[in-house]
Amino acid sequence: MALAHNLERLQVLLVEDSAADSELVLRELRRGGFEVTGEVVGSAEQFRSALRANPPDIVLADYNLGQWRGMEAVQILHEENLDIPLILVSGALGDVLAVECIKQGATDYVLKGSLARLSVSVRRALQEKLLCRERLQAEKELGKKVEELARSNRELEQFAYAASHDLQEPLRMVAAYTQLLAERYHGKLDEQADKYIHYAVDGALRMQALIQDLLAFSRAGRQGMEMEPADCNLVIGEALANLQLTLHESGAVVNYEPLPVVLGNAPQLRQVFQNLIANAIKFHGPQSPVVRISSRPSDEGWQFSVQDNGIGIALEDVNSIFVVFQRLHTRMEYPGNGIGLAICKKIIERHGGRIWVESREGEGSTFKFILPALPSAKPAVAQAVRSENYEQPSRSLVG
Amino acid sequence: MQFCNGDILIVEDNQDDLDLALHVLKRHNLANKIMVVRDGEEALDFLFCREKYDDRSFHYPPRLVLLDLKLPKLDGIEVLQQVKGDPRTKTIPVVILTSSKEERDLMDSYNGGANSYIQKPVNFNDFCDAIKQLGLYWLVVNQAPVNVKPGPVAGQKQ
Amino acid sequence: MSNPAEVLLVDDNPADLELTCDALERSGYPHHISTVADGREAVLFLWRKQKYAGACRADLVILDLNLPRKDGRAVLAELKSDPRLRATPVVIFSTSQAAQDIGRSYELGANSYVSKPGNLKDFFAAMQLIARFWFGCARLPHSEES
Repeated sequence: MALAHNLERLQVLLVEDSAADSELVLRELRRGGFEVTGEVVGSAEQFRSALRANPPDIVLADYNLGQWRGMEAVQILHEENLDIPLILVSGALGDVLAVECIKQGATDYVLKGSLARLSVSVRRALQEKLLCRERLQAEKELGKKVEELARSNRELEQFAYAASHDLQEPLRMVAAYTQLLAERYHGKLDEQADKYIHYAVDGALRMQALIQDLLAFSRAGRQGMEMEPADCNLVIGEALANLQLTLHESGAVVNYEPLPVVLGNAPQLRQVFQNLIANAIKFHGPQSPVVRISSRPSDEGWQFSVQDNGIGIALEDVNSIFVVFQRLHTRMEYPGNGIGLAICKKIIERHGGRIWVESREGEGSTFKFILPALPSAKPAVAQAVRSENYEQPSRSLVG
Repeated sequence: MQFCNGDILIVEDNQDDLDLALHVLKRHNLANKIMVVRDGEEALDFLFCREKYDDRSFHYPPRLVLLDLKLPKLDGIEVLQQVKGDPRTKTIPVVILTSSKEERDLMDSYNGGANSYIQKPVNFNDFCDAIKQLGLYWLVVNQAPVNVKPGPVAGQKQ
Repeated sequence: MSNPAEVLLVDDNPADLELTCDALERSGYPHHISTVADGREAVLFLWRKQKYAGACRADLVILDLNLPRKDGRAVLAELKSDPRLRATPVVIFSTSQAAQDIGRSYELGANSYVSKPGNLKDFFAAMQLIARFWFGCARLPHSEES
């Protein structure tokens, strides 16, 4: 900071019992370019009342004042909750003591024999305080902004959820009555009418599915995240149970190795496996779908792979598939709203993991994701547990 | 429609009726766990988690109780009144399944809080059909009250 | 049951009332349906008051929860606390799947709780099973009386 050419105002509180020394200090400050107003006190009570009456910009204290040590001034400043820098102006203290004083809260220490340093020291102390205050202010504002953002996000999520929820009712009416119309009047009006009704029914049913997907996506973000040890073998079992009909109709084969116990929310993890397996089956190629699920320890926890022999994904699409409602194919080619993977991503990320895909068009896809291991057991140890509990190398479920 | 894994408690002392009911329920895949008790006192012990059932919890009630009226030790109406009279058990669906034709039993049951009342058909086929209908209704269509937080590892169907 | 069952349908949504009646028709069981659109009318009907003085006694009530003028829960509570009427079976038929709504309904004495399915096919299937059970399998309390 450049020395101001104008005189800087400075209000000083001197804790000093020698009038001569006080005079020297004040004169030095004036010489350093300060317009000094000062008060001199010699005892703790005087110090305290001076602080209360007229808080100074800076405190200059002698170390040794007979009845009390100058360092007690730091204590008093704390008690009075005042953020005022204190510079020790003292005779020789020795390095150890000097460092000790700084540790206890003095900003700096100037020898009475080298008072020329004083003004620089004062300026530096004041500057530091200013910077410190600015930083605290900035942190507070950042904190507020973060909180506002979090609140705004929560409100948006609640709104999305409430809207989807409330939309279900009128949608139910539209879907039901267009279907009843179709039933009652099919073939009784003209061909155009049949077509119109058919489009209306189709639209209504798609809307219902969309709203349900939106709600599912919203729930994936809202649900309480009770993280408990979750046995992935059981989780997959549940997912496959839910997919019974699909497995049966597609003739799909799902193989999975013994899987670990992770820290997570079982119902949500079930959703992840269910969505990935359903996709693997849906986007099958000319061959019958075969899905392989495996895991291995990684330094981030456990890495899971869900591999299929389906149609694969082009390199340029590999990121966009995780975006809500992002679809790569028309509805005619493959049904669905494009929300399954977005839900997976949301859930995995809420678990502190990440999900990605490795794929080539026409050569199947492998979806990989990472979940945290149980805190107590490092993956290496968990590996040992695994081989102990599960004898069969792999199980398969043929639909 | 949702299919929920359910426990049923059957309170029945007639062996033939019991065997038939169990057979029908299992054949139609209507229930996972079926518990059978043969008298009114044991029914109460089960539902109130006491005596030999003191390891049971009020947080995991059966989804349905099929209750006969003519029972040894304590009759069905008495069981019904105790179950429906206690806040810990009053919301458990209790369906009376009895051979009684008495109007009095019908009214006492509904007035006592029975969720429903079925007179056991005499005809074999009708009996089987009745069990199937009641199973379909109370275990598939009807929503039972949910008291309980499911276990963390079991996962949930949505 | 020789006499057709008297059913009281309580729902404030005329579209749902129509759907429910239609579905019950399809079930093939003889029954007679009366409908009211709010809780206060429901109470008047059930106690056969005022304009409903000549009404038939309800053998079964299918009751929605969220009703204007008097909430479905209140109707249920009143019905089940009157010793002359508490035997009347009440099936709550509501879009709500909330655990509190289900639990509270049973606490107030509901005999059964069925969620209105969002899908038309499932809606008809559910009504079919409701009709088949309550008209074709269960004995209703007042059926023998005139």
